[in-house]
Amino acid sequence: MNERRLGLGSVIATGVGLVVASSCLLSIGIGTSTIGITFIISMVVACALNIVTLLSIAELNALMPDLTGGLAQYSLACVGPFITIICMVGGYALCNTIAGSVEVAMFGNTIVSLLPGVHIPVWGYCVILVLLLMIANLNGVDVFIKIQDFVAYSLIASLIIMGVMGTLGFGTGEIVEQPAVLSSDFSGITGLCGLAFFLFIGGEYVVPLTKEVKNAKRDIPLGMILSMFIILAMQIFLTLGFKNYTSWDELGASTTPHILYGKMLLGPFGGYWMVIVSLLAVISSVNTVMSSLSYILMGMAKIGLLPSFFNKTNRKNAPYVGIIFEGAAFCIINITGLSTTDSLSFMISVLALLWMLSYVVSNLNVLILRKRLPNAPRNFKVPLGPVFPIIGILGTIWMIYNIDPDISVKLSLYKVCGIIILVLTVYAFFWMKYQVKRPLFKPYPVKEVMAMENELYEKYHRPKKNRKTI
Amino acid sequence: MKVAIEELSKIEIITKEAKVAELTKEFGKFGITGMTIYDAKGCGVQLGTKEYEVEKNEDPQLLSKQVVMVVLPSAEVDSFLDFVGKQLYTGHIGDGKIFVTPVTNAVRVRTGEEGMDALKEGELD
Repeated sequence: MNERRLGLGSVIATGVGLVVASSCLLSIGIGTSTIGITFIISMVVACALNIVTLLSIAELNALMPDLTGGLAQYSLACVGPFITIICMVGGYALCNTIAGSVEVAMFGNTIVSLLPGVHIPVWGYCVILVLLLMIANLNGVDVFIKIQDFVAYSLIASLIIMGVMGTLGFGTGEIVEQPAVLSSDFSGITGLCGLAFFLFIGGEYVVPLTKEVKNAKRDIPLGMILSMFIILAMQIFLTLGFKNYTSWDELGASTTPHILYGKMLLGPFGGYWMVIVSLLAVISSVNTVMSSLSYILMGMAKIGLLPSFFNKTNRKNAPYVGIIFEGAAFCIINITGLSTTDSLSFMISVLALLWMLSYVVSNLNVLILRKRLPNAPRNFKVPLGPVFPIIGILGTIWMIYNIDPDISVKLSLYKVCGIIILVLTVYAFFWMKYQVKRPLFKPYPVKEVMAMENELYEKYHRPKKNRKTI
Repeated sequence: MKVAIEELSKIEIITKEAKVAELTKEFGKFGITGMTIYDAKGCGVQLGTKEYEVEKNEDPQLLSKQVVMVVLPSAEVDSFLDFVGKQLYTGHIGDGKIFVTPVTNAVRVRTGEEGMDALKEGELD
């Protein structure tokens, strides 16, 4: 059995790590330049809704603790394999693979802009970063956490210092005189809640670390919630700083609003600092995705929803097939130039819709297990009965509705999302009918999902080659 | 015979040995003043079948467990069971069983004290 060695600090570092991506810094710029500092209201609403979902995930984790994958296992026990494959295996894993690739591309783009004289293509830097992180992650969770702790806390400290300086007017640049609020009407604020939702999405990535955390019962839910509050505080300071030091027009036009803000706040030094911040954000996100998603894929293989080779681990206990798979996907997507196209950012929105769908299912899972196992001991239980999970379901559906203020873009997103679900439906149907041979919509018993975590389960239940060795 | 007014309950917790030390650490806050722990062998409804095994055992296979036996005021039983459940819970088959039985009396042999008095720090010394 592994020794549990991670503390609350590492849980927070992982929680913040994936959520604060460099694309988030861009989203804050877009939101703030659209309606001014009232974007803070959108962020608070989005943060609150994410916390509600994270509370639900914490309760599921309390009821089905120490599972490698997390969301997929909970869903398998609640809504059956078909919906689990569509929302968790397809939507969740695919979404994060693409999102990680984009972050890698942003790393390459930033380095190229910093070193214009060096003739290395963008994808070259991307591949170097991916290889370095792959090597680190193949050395097990210890190395992942050491990198993550350093990167995430440098990121948090930098953004808070820069944000507070801008909020209090301590920068060396000139303070811009402009209205703080560009729009305060309800539809303007709610229309950006979907955008704000992306700023907090992914806090559940700490769940796969449960087995490594010393006091998981306390630190997993607490770490997820504290991550959200830290991120909200950072983003509020940045929003107020943007108002003081960057004109709304320039902010809205910039593709790197955080670097623009750094320059306006502290001159060229501030610009370089923000470049470092965005690099830290990229490394933090890619590192988290590579580590956690490989465990999530491993968990999905354990419950039979993905091929069993994802279940393999190396000497350092790292799920190396998932890590290599993720690394290869990041490299291929970047070498083929896919992550530099406009259509990819559109794809991220589509896949984020699927991510939200997985959040709806997670809240629903809580209600289902409350009914099925009302008296099972829960070390963490969301207070006020079904109120918060129901708010989580309705609120996330509302976010899906507000995914984009432009109706035509929104309809296009829904359409592509529908096509992806159709493709996943075909996979789910054939995989379950011919490979797993189980009913599509019948939930697995909780005890069976828990038993699947045992490495001997596969040996006994899917024997074939191994039968003689039992 | 003088019997204490307070009702007492006996709780027997059958669980894995590895869980016992952590479990018993916080017993004091439920008014528990003593405990008895003994090794046992047994099985539940699965007849000792491991959770990952495909076929259920036809004959009972007895597994090594420990039994923790405590007596405490009946008013504390609900909160105590809640505590024990959360401590032992892993979600896996084999977390354990808890039996609750009423106790009609308890006697401290050395002093003759009865009921709750027999379980508390002795006042007659």
